[in-house]
Amino acid sequence: MQALLQFFASLRLTVILLALSMVLIFFGTLAQVETGIWKTQKDYFESVLAIWAYPEAWIAYDQLYWLRIPMPGGYLLGGMLLINLVAAHVTRFTLTAKKAGIFLIHIGLILLLISELLTDVLSEESQMPVDEGASSNYSQEYRDNELVLIDRMHADFDTVHSIPIALLKPGKTVAVPESPLTIRTISYYPNAQIGRAQEGAAPVESPANQGVAVKMNVVVTPSAVTYAENQINTATAYVEVLGPEGSLGIWLVSNVIDDRFPPQMVTLGEQSWEIVLRLKRHYYPFEVELVDFSHEKYPGTEIPFNYSSEVMVRHSDTTKNQKALIYMNHPLRYEGLTFYQASFANDDRTSIFQVVRNPGWILPYVSVLLMGVGMLVQFGMHFFKFLKKRASV
Amino acid sequence: MISRIHYPFLQCLPLLVASIAAICLTACDQAQPVSYQIPKEERADTIPTVAAATTQETSAPSKMNVLPGMQQAANAAGEVDFITPDGWENLVASGIRKANLKVTADTGSAEITILTFPGDVGGHLANINRWRGQVGLEAATVEDLPTYTTDYDISGHRGLYVRLEGESQSILGALLPFHGSTWFVKMLGDTTTVLANEASMKQFLDSIQLEDHAH
Repeated sequence: MQALLQFFASLRLTVILLALSMVLIFFGTLAQVETGIWKTQKDYFESVLAIWAYPEAWIAYDQLYWLRIPMPGGYLLGGMLLINLVAAHVTRFTLTAKKAGIFLIHIGLILLLISELLTDVLSEESQMPVDEGASSNYSQEYRDNELVLIDRMHADFDTVHSIPIALLKPGKTVAVPESPLTIRTISYYPNAQIGRAQEGAAPVESPANQGVAVKMNVVVTPSAVTYAENQINTATAYVEVLGPEGSLGIWLVSNVIDDRFPPQMVTLGEQSWEIVLRLKRHYYPFEVELVDFSHEKYPGTEIPFNYSSEVMVRHSDTTKNQKALIYMNHPLRYEGLTFYQASFANDDRTSIFQVVRNPGWILPYVSVLLMGVGMLVQFGMHFFKFLKKRASV
Repeated sequence: MISRIHYPFLQCLPLLVASIAAICLTACDQAQPVSYQIPKEERADTIPTVAAATTQETSAPSKMNVLPGMQQAANAAGEVDFITPDGWENLVASGIRKANLKVTADTGSAEITILTFPGDVGGHLANINRWRGQVGLEAATVEDLPTYTTDYDISGHRGLYVRLEGESQSILGALLPFHGSTWFVKMLGDTTTVLANEASMKQFLDSIQLEDHAH
């Protein structure tokens, strides 16, 4: 036990871990060229083990295609660094006034490592596109989908029954909460081409007997998942809806079969639901109205100089109404969310906000503050000691 | 002189912080199905029109393409002008549809749509066979074509008029190759209603004017 603690507390381990971190960052940067930032982050930094493969675009790929370099991933390195620092504290450090500065710096560092992990795990990012003059009360993710059944029977509100896409596993059933329905997944495709039957394509045989698939003769050709930053995977599934007395039919659902198509309705007796597979939505108790979007360019060019959105936030609790101007590096923080100006579309008539919920957003600030104070204390102490020594000479 | 002070609590602080983080992480489990209420949404109108896929490449990911390529093609194609025949209802055209009309009779209703796609979309025979399938008819061969198609001019271009009489559902339609793309005009619905509206359909086809940049 003592030996184990000694190992985890050793400074040698710290140096090795930091060196490996540099290796990871180097190969992660190379990989980013191939797979884009999102997948690289998942593969290299939010993982325990990362494996670098010789890129296809490099010379001599035909000879070196087999080359793979495994390396510890971000979670392993970060976790080990955290253990290392904590173990060092337990075995070697005793808190004395003399070492208070170093102690603060270390606490700050530990907090920084933890906050990074919390951000990875807890933060949610989504997008809210709003047209000029219109408003929106939800944002949508662009990598995660949900299967929803929407009950529009009530005059005052709609009821949304949402099933996370991760639960759509072929052959498995999921009960739809607060409804008499059950969903049985026939098949699920993370990305697919959807269209009318065409020559040359090899669509999967359609088991559907209801909705768009039958009416419009739409077929599915599965395709590879894309990680490109400006592309969205066409998540698609064949699902069977079961009522208390058995099957109500099999529908084709996909995040491209949206409002531009006639609604796909599931009917059971007097009740009916619209069935939709869509990008996962987050609804809010407030609406963001885009009053004005302005997009200034450098004169005579198409290069953006500045773009900004004037918004009015209307909360169901009107005391929380707020006006704001959102532009580069000047987000709106509201109700635990941060709205960043992310993009625009539709000939400058639509503004797109990045909506981030990060419960741990304050931690990096605290940790940097702690480290700053720690350094001040530590160097200040040395400085005053030096001054005292000089005065006494 | 610096005195050596012991703070047992502070000593354990790093350990404490690390264990709290570990508890936080294990507490997060997989997402579960949920139900919630939202303010009444009007379908189709509440979704911001960012969906128009023409902006897809220049902007951040916001919305995906509808049947890849279709929406762009529909947006890129010119506008269409027509006169709504008596008794027909002109509904709002949305998405890839250029026009959307409806006719209702005691016998049943029929829907009239105008769509356009780039290229020849597989050729006349493939498209007509697709339509035949929609009204429960078997696929036809190229030799059969003249029995239910006739040449027909629409908006100053030579097209093809198609008459497909099915048992309960029928189609009267037209295919029009037009400067590299193909326009589809189709009335689909109850056989009696569709056949009763043949004169109106021809009147409708004659009234169609396509926006033409090529001349």
